[in-house]
Amino acid sequence: MRMILRRLGLYALTAWVAISVNFLLPRLMPGNPIQNLIGRLQGQVTSNEIRAIRLSFGFGVNQGLVAQYFTYVSQLFHGNLGVSITLGASVSSILRASVPWTVGLIGLSTIISFAIGTFAGAMLGWTRGSRFDSFIPTATFFQAVPYFFLATVMLLIFGSDLHWFPVLGAYSQSVTPGWNWAFLSSVVRYGELPVISIVLSSIAGWMLGMRNMMITMIGEDFVLMAVAKGLPRRKVIMHAARNAVLPSIANLSLAIGLVVSGALLVELVFNYPGVGDLLLQAVLNEDYPLIQGIFLVITLTVLAANLIADFVYLALDPRTRTEAAL
Amino acid sequence: MSAERLEAPPLVDERSRSDSLVSPLPARSDFVLDVSNFSVVYGTGEHMVRAVNDISFTLRRSAVLGVAGESGSGKSTLVYAMTRLLRAPGLISGGVVNLNTTRSGDAGEETVNLVTASEKELRKIRWSHVSIVLQSALSALNPVLRVGRDFDEVLKTHRPDMTRAQRRERAAELVSSVGLNEDRLDRFPHELSGGQRQRIMIALALALDPELVIMDEPTTALDVVTQREIMNELQDLRARFDFAMIFITHDLSLLVEIADEIVVMYAGSIVERARANELYEAPRHPYTLGLLNSFPPMHGQRRELTGIPGSPPDLADLPTGCKFHSRCPYAMTRCRDEEPPLTSLGDSERSVACWLHVGGPGVSVPVELSRDATTKDRAHANGERP
Amino acid sequence: MKALRLPRSPKVLLGLGIFGFFIIMTVIGPWLAPYSPSATNFTPNLTPSAHHLLGTTSLGQDIFSQLLVGARATMVVALLAGLVATVLSVTIGVTAGYLGGFSDDGLSLLSNVFLAIPGLPLLIVIDSYLPVNSRSNSLVIGLVISLTGWAWGARVLRAQTMSLRNRDFVEAARIIGEKRIRIMFSEIAPNLLPILASSLLFTVLYSIGAYVTLAYIGLTSTAVWNWGTMLYWAQSNNAPLSGEWYWFVPPGICIALVGTSLALLNFGIDEFINPRLRDAGLTSRQRRSLGLPRRIRLGLTPVLRPAIAKKISPSPAKLVGQ
Repeated sequence: MRMILRRLGLYALTAWVAISVNFLLPRLMPGNPIQNLIGRLQGQVTSNEIRAIRLSFGFGVNQGLVAQYFTYVSQLFHGNLGVSITLGASVSSILRASVPWTVGLIGLSTIISFAIGTFAGAMLGWTRGSRFDSFIPTATFFQAVPYFFLATVMLLIFGSDLHWFPVLGAYSQSVTPGWNWAFLSSVVRYGELPVISIVLSSIAGWMLGMRNMMITMIGEDFVLMAVAKGLPRRKVIMHAARNAVLPSIANLSLAIGLVVSGALLVELVFNYPGVGDLLLQAVLNEDYPLIQGIFLVITLTVLAANLIADFVYLALDPRTRTEAAL
Repeated sequence: MSAERLEAPPLVDERSRSDSLVSPLPARSDFVLDVSNFSVVYGTGEHMVRAVNDISFTLRRSAVLGVAGESGSGKSTLVYAMTRLLRAPGLISGGVVNLNTTRSGDAGEETVNLVTASEKELRKIRWSHVSIVLQSALSALNPVLRVGRDFDEVLKTHRPDMTRAQRRERAAELVSSVGLNEDRLDRFPHELSGGQRQRIMIALALALDPELVIMDEPTTALDVVTQREIMNELQDLRARFDFAMIFITHDLSLLVEIADEIVVMYAGSIVERARANELYEAPRHPYTLGLLNSFPPMHGQRRELTGIPGSPPDLADLPTGCKFHSRCPYAMTRCRDEEPPLTSLGDSERSVACWLHVGGPGVSVPVELSRDATTKDRAHANGERP
Repeated sequence: MKALRLPRSPKVLLGLGIFGFFIIMTVIGPWLAPYSPSATNFTPNLTPSAHHLLGTTSLGQDIFSQLLVGARATMVVALLAGLVATVLSVTIGVTAGYLGGFSDDGLSLLSNVFLAIPGLPLLIVIDSYLPVNSRSNSLVIGLVISLTGWAWGARVLRAQTMSLRNRDFVEAARIIGEKRIRIMFSEIAPNLLPILASSLLFTVLYSIGAYVTLAYIGLTSTAVWNWGTMLYWAQSNNAPLSGEWYWFVPPGICIALVGTSLALLNFGIDEFINPRLRDAGLTSRQRRSLGLPRRIRLGLTPVLRPAIAKKISPSPAKLVGQ
């Protein structure tokens, strides 16, 4: 339990840092970008909206920095992330519409990619020296291709040229969103290519990491003992794989951040209505409240994913359990 | 090799290999393992290293063969290669390893040559006929599994007709035979003490009533008290389960207690072979003498620990002639140029590879290496010699 | 001092080759470029030809020139950000690992926080607040990237330092009374070299990805030519959908190749750090000549055929003779 508490502490601290970065950045940057922006907006929007925007950055009237900070944090805790400058709606309502798409797309892709990559890596490690080894440089290449570039190429070949997959958007224009079959099957059809492209971009990392750990584990005595016991090959592989997968899961926290970063841009390429696409729009329009809101939400989601990974690790490695019990 | 043997000097016994055994050739059903001309190399080409050279021995049922030598002498390589468990770049470069897989109730005779056996055959033989205990039980047990799972898995694989409850019962019986409580089965390896882990490994090795158990330095990593306890338990277990054993260690005095016969290895070759007590009482090879003087005896008179000068040989760069000559206090000119063959001594059931004993009539054997040597002679042997 | 000698495997050589090629491109690319990358005086949308090896953009710019010129900015920013991030990793990781106690707790917490925050969104937030003139400044961009990319290296370096700290030779230096700072840099640092090299490769890999991504979404100045801005212009002119592959594929492939070369080099470092990853002593040619299977299975030690065994390993009995 101690490990989980410590991790929780770390994530709470991280969330606090993210919030504070959001608060401090507009104030630290040269030329006071927020004030400039508000100045530019004057006349285009009503004074009430200007007030709302000021408030969402904690720029209350005549307050010191500390007081501003508390205003800002208390606004956040009330779920008030401010108002989007370009879209006019509140940031939290905009995010509520787009976050599920992103969590669905990236979450599913990550699970598929981790599962297949880990399995393939275990096999590559076990069959080391066989002809499957020639697969490694290819995998390395895919690991190095930027997510958005691979997505663009996939979109071009399998979407525009071959018309194997529908592209652009998360579902067909002809269906009505809701819990109906037409809509759900359309979502699946439209999700296929983005999922495939994220899986292709991220799978090599899991695979190569697992392969290396598998080779390391095969060098351990207990794997040799599994052979000496006359166990079937499948069980010998399991002995090694069960241990080799632990570092992969321990590294999940680092990897999730990277995968999410890359996958956000895949949404962009496919015009997927998630936060990635939203983020780009916000950046182009200098919609600071929206940028900050998205950053915060992504960070919190990644932290939650990390926490899940920690629980999985704890369940799989009895050594940490004992340590935690002490 | 036998052809060259015939040209050896007169003192060399000219009988064929299998006759140079300690005891008269056992009846076929009487042996559990018969190894002949077994050799192992590491790698190939310029970097090739000969790790085990032309080794032959026979292990009778229920007997204990001790294998002694410093690290790098090839003793572990020998047993791993014999069971085909040696990792790359190890290669078997020749020989036969016949394992007698006849169970006591079986009608016919069945032996398997492990060197030519297929993966499938090996899988069937492993653990049910030959099991292994390693030096470090901590690394030999899967860290993320409760030790009970190891028993369950082995029984499930080799005795598919056993029920889950029967497997558990058998596991409990096994761990209690090594003096552990049944509840240890629900522990993870890191929750057990070193002695407990090693006992678990021993109990696991006996799970399928194998004819042969290989012990690779099973007590080296333990403290002296635990080592003592486990050695005693092993004696009891042997009486109860009646298995043959190959016991590997660098501690000759430990071996003398448990082994019937001992082979001493140096640089991949057997340099001396004898009944345990004879080897202990009157070692013939200078290396054996050095090994004996490196460890305090478990029982009996204390002797001065002198050890062996120099360090174990680099297998990649072996000296010519007798591999031991550079460290040998008795080295003669001949030792530098010619390698002495392992030769049966006419006067007892033992063999030695040393020119002092097989060098012909002109060589005088030092008193501490002669058959009449006393413990005192040997105790001061290394010290007194220049 | 333990020299970092990479195994001379085909993977490492290929990695070195590709990386070397792009370094040369970085140095001489802009001089080799046949035209100015920004000049718009050609026919737009030309397909590749002898005059325009990679065709022209819809604004009538020579794509091949853009690729050559863009190499410099891309590589320089990636290398700069990688170097700065590595310096940060070393400073923070080694200090934390060596000092232990409160400094370690504080510094580890700092790197764990930075690890947990997703890098690219943070980068985008910081970058979106940068004044426009800073966005064209490669130095500023590189520094911002390094700020989000040092934490992983710091973590692995800290772990390695901690394990080194208690080894005999460091203990000895401490007992002799050497100064802490001296011990850190002369005793510990050299032994961190392989980890350091691997962390440098990773941060350069991260940096090139981050820089190109920022450029692609238009957060660096679009007037600075790099492979990311090429992709930005290609995307905003709908090059992918109008089939102008020669516009957006080459920069993407270049980025992927640089990344691949870094990853291939890292294979070499991995094998240096972890001996088990090295080829198990027998090259494939040796295996073939010995008549052994391509793959040596665990628990199935190969047996040489007698004819081959006699050839490579003459019977020791031959040494016995009169």
